Amino acid sequence: MTEENINNNETKIINTACCHDCGGRCVLKAHVKNGRIIRFETDHDEEPQLRACLRGRAYRQRVYSDDRLKYPMRRTGERGEGKFERISWEEALDSVAEKLKLIKEKYDNSSILFVAGSGNQGMLHGVTSVGLMLNQFGGYTRMWGAPSYEGALFASMATYGTIMSGNSREDLLNSKLIIMWGWNPASTIWDPGTPLMLSKAREKGVKIVAVDPIFTDSAAVLASEWIPIRPNTDTAMLIAMANVIIKENLHDKDFIEKYTIGFDEYETYVMGKEDGVEKTPQWAESITNVPSKFIENLAREYATKKPAALIAGWGPARTMFGEQFARAAAVLTAITGNIGISGGYASGFMRAYYSRETIIPGKKKQEHADIAKIEKPKIKKLRPQDNPVDFNALPRKDTLFILRGGTNPAKTRIHYNDYYNAILQGREGGFPADIKLAYIVASNRLNQYGNLNKGIKALKALDFVIVQDQFMTPTAKFADIILPVNTFMERNDIAVPWLGSPYYLYLNKAIEPLHESKSDLEISKELAKRLGIKGGLLDMEEEQILKMLAAPRKDIKNFNKMKRDGYYKVKVDEPFIAFKKQIEDPEKYEFPTSSGKIEIYCEALAEMDNPLIPPIPKYLSHDENYDSPKTSKYPLQLITPHNKRRTHSSLNMPWLEEVEAHEAWISTVDATSRDINNGDLIDVFNDRGRIRIPAKVTERIMPGVICVYQGAWYNPAENGVDLGGCANVLTNDGYSPSGAFPLNSSLVQVEFHSKKKEDVSK
Amino acid sequence: MTQLGFFVNQSRCIGCFTCSVACKDWHDITATSVNWMRITQIEEGKFPDLTLFYLPIACNHCKNPPCLLACPTKAIIKRENDGIVIVDSEKCLGYIECGARCLKVCPWDVPQFENHNKAKMQKCDLCVDRIDEGKYPICVEACPMYALDVAPLEELQQKYGFSKEAIVFEFKDKYQPSIIFNNKTKEK
Repeated sequence: MTEENINNNETKIINTACCHDCGGRCVLKAHVKNGRIIRFETDHDEEPQLRACLRGRAYRQRVYSDDRLKYPMRRTGERGEGKFERISWEEALDSVAEKLKLIKEKYDNSSILFVAGSGNQGMLHGVTSVGLMLNQFGGYTRMWGAPSYEGALFASMATYGTIMSGNSREDLLNSKLIIMWGWNPASTIWDPGTPLMLSKAREKGVKIVAVDPIFTDSAAVLASEWIPIRPNTDTAMLIAMANVIIKENLHDKDFIEKYTIGFDEYETYVMGKEDGVEKTPQWAESITNVPSKFIENLAREYATKKPAALIAGWGPARTMFGEQFARAAAVLTAITGNIGISGGYASGFMRAYYSRETIIPGKKKQEHADIAKIEKPKIKKLRPQDNPVDFNALPRKDTLFILRGGTNPAKTRIHYNDYYNAILQGREGGFPADIKLAYIVASNRLNQYGNLNKGIKALKALDFVIVQDQFMTPTAKFADIILPVNTFMERNDIAVPWLGSPYYLYLNKAIEPLHESKSDLEISKELAKRLGIKGGLLDMEEEQILKMLAAPRKDIKNFNKMKRDGYYKVKVDEPFIAFKKQIEDPEKYEFPTSSGKIEIYCEALAEMDNPLIPPIPKYLSHDENYDSPKTSKYPLQLITPHNKRRTHSSLNMPWLEEVEAHEAWISTVDATSRDINNGDLIDVFNDRGRIRIPAKVTERIMPGVICVYQGAWYNPAENGVDLGGCANVLTNDGYSPSGAFPLNSSLVQVEFHSKKKEDVSK
Repeated sequence: MTQLGFFVNQSRCIGCFTCSVACKDWHDITATSVNWMRITQIEEGKFPDLTLFYLPIACNHCKNPPCLLACPTKAIIKRENDGIVIVDSEKCLGYIECGARCLKVCPWDVPQFENHNKAKMQKCDLCVDRIDEGKYPICVEACPMYALDVAPLEELQQKYGFSKEAIVFEFKDKYQPSIIFNNKTKEK
């Protein structure tokens, strides 16, 4: 913005957007006066409108928060203590560059860990430019696995060979029954318009059932029936539903014959011929706490009310063996023939349009089927987007590396929830690198992954920590150097939809960067100069790069229109129905799996030869489940879902905080037996840590379960008790064989602490 | 005289508070001070047989507003052209001096006061600035569920019917609140 505009007293409307990792990505129209945003409007143009939710509407309080990081800082106290001094950009950048060079020289590039978070998401800004800069510097150790969805992604790949398994939201109107399984789009959006479409379906007479341990806003408002289920046992109920369907001969035999492989193996397991235990509704009732008649009824209804949409959320898959839940749901949609048809739904990853990819995922598969048979991969030319540390690496064990479009299977990578062990143990502990330096961008890493207290040890063990962020997060307190980054309002960017609906957003810069903050691109360019990196994106200007990033997306027909309007809504001829082609013309179109069919029995899983990741979906328990011996000490199951008033650990603004207090949800039964009243301070604890938090005593959660919404900031008292109520003080690090994060698989105990609510600092 | 009114589709409301936050942003209202758009949450029943409803209410811009009659300084006026009830804070005596007579007579607790002795009454003005520009109030345009509408009352009645009922809303015939509902029945 020019000087002229700043002095102009008139209000200008700048078309921009909100794009955090909330489940949305929505239009914001910033009203700017005297160089300052005074208010926002959202999309009021052509339908379908991309209306922002409360998070976006509160954005002004993020941009102008007093808590913004204003200038670069250097640590003066202990790591984690939060003591810093102000330094100049020159000094900060020099010292980051010097450390990067030193670590590279002394060890190698794999000693550099790049922690790329989702706190600041655009196509260009956020983590992209830093990754490119580090690639050109010789690479870095990268993580694999996404806490949100790894279980769902793995299952989607194993069953269908692709993550493109969703139908357009408007197609929900064609369903006769919708099952929202562990799915709460009223709070987590799932691309704008999803809760609205569910509401319209219900108004049209479509029956909607919610299966969830919590009576969520979706269960209450969008559904007409709620089935509470014990966490970590959803798979058992899905398998019992298959039992009812097969036994009563309600499965779609033609569909199974024509489009799937492995039904017989599954039937053998479900009917108890494999292990002598028939997976009846009575069997599932004892595991899930869902009455068997409910299981029977839902199974019959789902199999006979065709087309029906079973939508399996990512939350139940965010457990130990969570991939089995996602697999069992996918298989149930297959045996009832609800795939590839309007009104049905192939339960899976749920992407329904290509806006997030330039290469359509799951189009091709690789030739090798066995790690042992893989020779050293062919060396091709290193491109700027290739990380030299990953380049030509062999695949890890237990990956679906033969399929294209899933998680990068390179052996050089460390699982996101396992990196504390990697830092603490290094190559000696069997990890692929000895980590010395962490470069953390847009990630409140410590707060948002399993086992926070182990994370503290790991971050303290590093030689050097760089944090690039907008706020002094609990993670930033562990930095040696903090680099302040600006917000979306202070730069230009393009955003793709969160899940992948047919639209793009252009974020026009609304105001000048506040304080001394810089964009991630500017920081990367400055560091590139100091590291002797030339060429590539780092020599290009912002708009030039944005044009380049938009170019491969052939559905953006008019870049300038997108820039002018702040959005580009792609016109699609008809709703997207995943696998429609494969179902209509199986001769011509195969599923992108090894067999070319929907894999109820997955050959790639069989080859892993790991009983913990069987080729057919199975119910597997684990040592932090309801039936574990550990329950004698820690009898409650902790779940850590997303709430409606933050996005992970971002967006802690006053307008949002007042919407809903951060409290632990506990059932009346469990509270009464512990003499806990609503509003009392309680301690939730296990061997990994202890948090102190007000109790919300409610009928809306099933007995035996306690819920602490993830994202509240860790705020330790001197004795180590977290007064911030951070869920990950209690969760586990480590991961399921597929890479699923067991963040909903923790056993805890709860005890009364005090009557006073005021003791909890914010 | 035209009377503008609200339509609230209670069966659509997911309690997301977007309308309320958008209202605070548009009117620049600090958090934890006042709420022009208030969302009531109603939980009933015992596990697992539960119901949960939300009811968003701003100001009902009554045809016969009791607040207007109660105000000792005539600070509350009703616009002739569209029936919007607005308050002139210059004329308002403030919470302590007046005793908040407007609040005492309003069955829906619409008048809002900040938490200090001299606080003047404030409340939903139906975004008169936007109405005068031919736009919808910010809450209507914000709602991701399209659960709110504002238009002349007769128009709303033609479009949505005449329901005066919503869970926990008490319609007062003598004041003629300008609001209609698509009420959420307990059976759904």
